[in-house]
Amino acid sequence: MRRLAVGIGAAALSLLLLALAGAAFGHSPRVLLEILVSGSIGSRFALEGTLLKSVPLLLTGLAVVIAFRAGVWNIGGEGQFIVGALAAYLTSRFGTTAALLAAAVAGALWASIASLLRVWRNAPEVLTTILLNFIAIHLLGYCVNGPLQEASGQYPQSDPVPQAAALPLLGGSSLHAGIVVALLVTLASWWLLYRTREGLRLRATGFNPSAAQYAGVDVNAQIARAMALSGAVAGLAGAIELLGVTHRLFERVAAGYGYAGIAVALLAQLHPIATIAAAAFFGALATGAGELQRSASISSSVATFGQAVVILVLILFGSMRAFAPGRDE
Amino acid sequence: MIEMIIQSLPLAIFASVPLLLAVEGELVAERAGMINLGIEGMMLTAAMTAVFAAQISGSIIAGLFGGIAGALAVAAIFGFFSIRLKADQIVTGTAINLLALGLTGFVYREMQQSAIFVRSVPHVGAAAENAIAIVSWIVIPILLSLMLWMTAFGLRLRACGEYPRAVAASGPSVAMHRWAALVIEAVLVGAAGADLSLALSSGFAENMTSGRGFIALSIVIFGRWKTRGILLGTAVFGIAAALQYALQAMNQSLQFHLLLAIPYVVTLLILCGIAGKVRAPESLGRDA
Repeated sequence: MRRLAVGIGAAALSLLLLALAGAAFGHSPRVLLEILVSGSIGSRFALEGTLLKSVPLLLTGLAVVIAFRAGVWNIGGEGQFIVGALAAYLTSRFGTTAALLAAAVAGALWASIASLLRVWRNAPEVLTTILLNFIAIHLLGYCVNGPLQEASGQYPQSDPVPQAAALPLLGGSSLHAGIVVALLVTLASWWLLYRTREGLRLRATGFNPSAAQYAGVDVNAQIARAMALSGAVAGLAGAIELLGVTHRLFERVAAGYGYAGIAVALLAQLHPIATIAAAAFFGALATGAGELQRSASISSSVATFGQAVVILVLILFGSMRAFAPGRDE
Repeated sequence: MIEMIIQSLPLAIFASVPLLLAVEGELVAERAGMINLGIEGMMLTAAMTAVFAAQISGSIIAGLFGGIAGALAVAAIFGFFSIRLKADQIVTGTAINLLALGLTGFVYREMQQSAIFVRSVPHVGAAAENAIAIVSWIVIPILLSLMLWMTAFGLRLRACGEYPRAVAASGPSVAMHRWAALVIEAVLVGAAGADLSLALSSGFAENMTSGRGFIALSIVIFGRWKTRGILLGTAVFGIAAALQYALQAMNQSLQFHLLLAIPYVVTLLILCGIAGKVRAPESLGRDA
């Protein structure tokens, strides 16, 4: 209950600070908040935009939840998202299911590079996942400027995925079936973390690795599995964004979703189900901020500001200390 | 290929000054046991505050101090959370990057409507650019080496990165040394941001650091936490970036994406100890 209060408090405080920042530059805080609300949940169109933005956030957030719960730092969501999108594009001609599976496998493999290097050479995954993000970004840059560039060769982007592979839209809306996939993955993650032995071992590893080891958990293998799972979910996010929204690959296809996933996971206080609410909040914030930019000429980057405030407020409340990964001293 | 590298050297030397200054700052912080993931946000903030200070005063020097002030403000946030509250450094750094990206984007757009914004940004002359390059490539590395390896302060600072409990047990405050390292980092990163927005370009643009802070983190690893190593690392990354322009001019822009990825792959290999021995400060990223 306290965790719920802290989460809501952090979200509210970020909105308050946003309004204050606006006021500092002469915008009416009331108007600003009104636009933010109406632009994110005020109409059917706005609500659909919010839900569309929430889907990748939910999955990248989940990816972070799974890794952090195992006490392993996966800052590589951005890179895993990208290789997921790449793999989905390459396999899209075999249909949606194949593309989604390929993305999950690619994300898992990409993340596993980091966990392998940790187990094998003791290389900290914080650093390796960041490096892998850059390698993925340049790999994508190479692909959309070279082998995968659209046939007309005009822009650094790929041709659209085949119509048959695109995620179907849900009943006359702009929402795609990826939402259903994301929610199912969320439920599956919750079930895995809290209802299976695997989940218990995973959480034990994150909570106290030496105790887990003593209790018979193979900590290294556990971390490797958690990291692969985390990468798979982030890769899936990339595939769903490609097949449901962008339909094309381009350099900025990940658009910071990987990093935003950290804010989502922390706001959810590393609980899979709460991740739905956290992703919806940040999805709404991003969509509302887009409306702020269009109608009030306030930079949409305030959404990023909101993510930062949420994280810092949560640190202030001290609610993260209990899960801070890497306490294996 | 050799000829191309030689031709791109001058560009590499000047264009990688902000990167180099950031790397030097991060070296000090990491030696003291702090991994500042927020260095990207720190540099971005400094780039913006430097432009505002230069526009208001009409002076480049004021711009430099403006940049340093911006970086110090970010350092204060990082230090408050990671040193004072002992919050996780990675989480704090991530938050700071998001904070800086959001806040600079917002503030910059707001300032476009103000009168200060229309004032022209003073230009850095060629002589000054040469001086900046010499200071960053030669003077600061010597000073940092002397400080880190020849003074008692430097020894204590490095001890904070290796075994902070020993420092605390022998008297000196770990927190004070980490704060000092953070201030040194902020001064260097502030200068980096100012150089980026005032010398390399003439003004601020959203997200203009475009990953330089993260590259700096990579280079510190590449350089194995040594002064000579980070100079070599910055040169490698700088030449790779400069070659990109040469390749683009030759209409071979395709390869440059792969070229840009190579330094990261090499850094990854170095990190794994495959390309030589490496040892990170023992308590890097841990609280005291």
